[in-house]
Amino acid sequence: MTAVADRPTTTPAPRGRPVAPGRVLVRGSAAHRGLQVAGLLLVVALLVWASTWPLFRMGQLTNVFVLAIAIAGLNLVTGYTGLLSIGHSAFFGLGAYTTGVLVVQYGFDAMLTVPVAIGFCFVAGLLVGLPSLRIHGLYLALVTLAVGVAFPELVRRFDDLTGGAAGLVIRARLLTPPEWTGISRAQRGIWLFWVSAIALVLVLLLVRNLTRSRAGLAMRAVRDHELAAAAQGVHVARVKILTFGLSAAITGLAGALFAMYVGALAPDGSFTLLKSIELVTGLVLGGAATLLGPVVGAVAVVFLPYLTSLVAPGPVSGIAFGVLLIALVFLMPEGVVGRAQIALRRVVTVVDADHPALARTARDPGGPPEPDGQQPGPPPSTDEDQPR
Amino acid sequence: MPGADAHDPLLEVRGVAVRFGGVTALRDLSFDVRPGEICGLIGPNGAGKTTLFNCITRIYEPAEGSIRFAGRDLLAVPAHRIAGLGIARTFQNLALFGSMTVLDNVLTGAAAQPGTGIVPGLLAWPGATRRTAALRARAWELVEQLELLDVALLPAAGLPFGTRKRVELARALMAEPSLLLLDEPAGGLTHAEVDELGGLLVALRDRFGFAALLVEHHMGLVMGISDRVVAMDFGRRIAAGSPDEVRRDPAVVAAYLGRAA
Repeated sequence: MTAVADRPTTTPAPRGRPVAPGRVLVRGSAAHRGLQVAGLLLVVALLVWASTWPLFRMGQLTNVFVLAIAIAGLNLVTGYTGLLSIGHSAFFGLGAYTTGVLVVQYGFDAMLTVPVAIGFCFVAGLLVGLPSLRIHGLYLALVTLAVGVAFPELVRRFDDLTGGAAGLVIRARLLTPPEWTGISRAQRGIWLFWVSAIALVLVLLLVRNLTRSRAGLAMRAVRDHELAAAAQGVHVARVKILTFGLSAAITGLAGALFAMYVGALAPDGSFTLLKSIELVTGLVLGGAATLLGPVVGAVAVVFLPYLTSLVAPGPVSGIAFGVLLIALVFLMPEGVVGRAQIALRRVVTVVDADHPALARTARDPGGPPEPDGQQPGPPPSTDEDQPR
Repeated sequence: MPGADAHDPLLEVRGVAVRFGGVTALRDLSFDVRPGEICGLIGPNGAGKTTLFNCITRIYEPAEGSIRFAGRDLLAVPAHRIAGLGIARTFQNLALFGSMTVLDNVLTGAAAQPGTGIVPGLLAWPGATRRTAALRARAWELVEQLELLDVALLPAAGLPFGTRKRVELARALMAEPSLLLLDEPAGGLTHAEVDELGGLLVALRDRFGFAALLVEHHMGLVMGISDRVVAMDFGRRIAAGSPDEVRRDPAVVAAYLGRAA
């Protein structure tokens, strides 16, 4: 590595050396597209296969999908932008109660409440994001903690709307799947399974787009060095507040789906700080600031306690779960997906098509690298891989 | 710039004073930077050089005085718009985005350019992605020019110091600045690297035509490449002129070596 620094810096010398160790996969190339299509087909096949499972198993998977959406929301603000939130249980709850109250008290169609829940949580997220302009690090976490603590109290306080501590029951009749699906009310688990799965895929697509855009670059710049980000012209305040809003909106979407999934809401049920901690745990386990980390994290959070209770029955299982968590964080501080990415990079590197070394070989296939001193032309930018 | 000719100053600092509680970091400081010139800013530690940088980049608020850039009142511009006006900076102790790749660091230098909206980003609008592709092409060019191609896809945090300095320089150039603020670019470099840096800065200035305000302790570098030098001590300007004039100025000699008893 020091050889790089010792090289003279005054004469630009383009090189034709390999871009990276191992195999190189060009983003947008036939091979890369093929792998992407294969991956998508595999996911669809797995979902179709899972939809033949018993309803109980499908319900568990629905729970995983919903949790993955919630963690994907948290990932934007905590993973990519570096603002630790332990108040996301409040957005999860706000989304759930928006759906619950609108369906039960105002007779809304359950699916129509989802955009309302997303909108409410977006606005709430903007408001909770405001303190992040002045407060940093653990102090900001404390502010979000207060929001998380306050939410169940607010639900109890407005009991004429929310049913208070007694809870809010959404009757199965109100959650009947639309007629065109041909799914009966008793089978509504299948409907929710597909709705959650599609919602998760859509959320992951949007997050992927965002994190690859220059807006995503600005988010990571704010996380890595706020002062330097501002010096580059990043509007730090706008990035933080909008990310908070977007993050809350996505977690709120998860909450709305969760309300339909459980059908009964109670302030002490799934909307306390424990939920926030579950989301943060899932994020760290799966891999913060990775696209698929939230999915792996959700699987871990749902199934690990179940597994440890098989190995160590009774109260010991909680301890076993804790020990497992500590071990995982020690062994893989980057999370499962982060660790997998590092391992994968040793085997294959995905490179964008605009890399100058590739542009050169494209113009001069098989030939020697160009002589020193020549300015490289603009690389072809038409192959830029951006999902639609 | 309508109505501006080469002799109009690009940066006008007039009577700037900064106080932190009882400590006066800058007092009645005035000087100009003309378009395309390298202006050295020297002075012993604590003379207020970095404080001045932080005033120009709107991190500190001067208690008195005015700073104008290309005829515009800089003190009325919020910090995040400074880069968009064409002022880029490097930091004394490096301020890279450590977890991001070298290429992404450089690309972030264009954060003031339009196309960073969250909604276009979420939906991958063709307009936004086209603009990103064009900026990436520019970022790749800078990466090549500053000899960073081999490390372009590595995270910035693990790179050697000299390499990271070049990353920061490339990031600053990405903003297409008309004024480049360089805060001790030679700090921590070996003797050979400092010589290279001097040549590189002059070559880049000739190529891109920016003016540079160069804060530096390394006298060889400042005196070697500056068109003009401003010397400061205790927050005041004590001398200004060509490198030779400033080098011989008794006030400068006294500030660095102490007064004869």
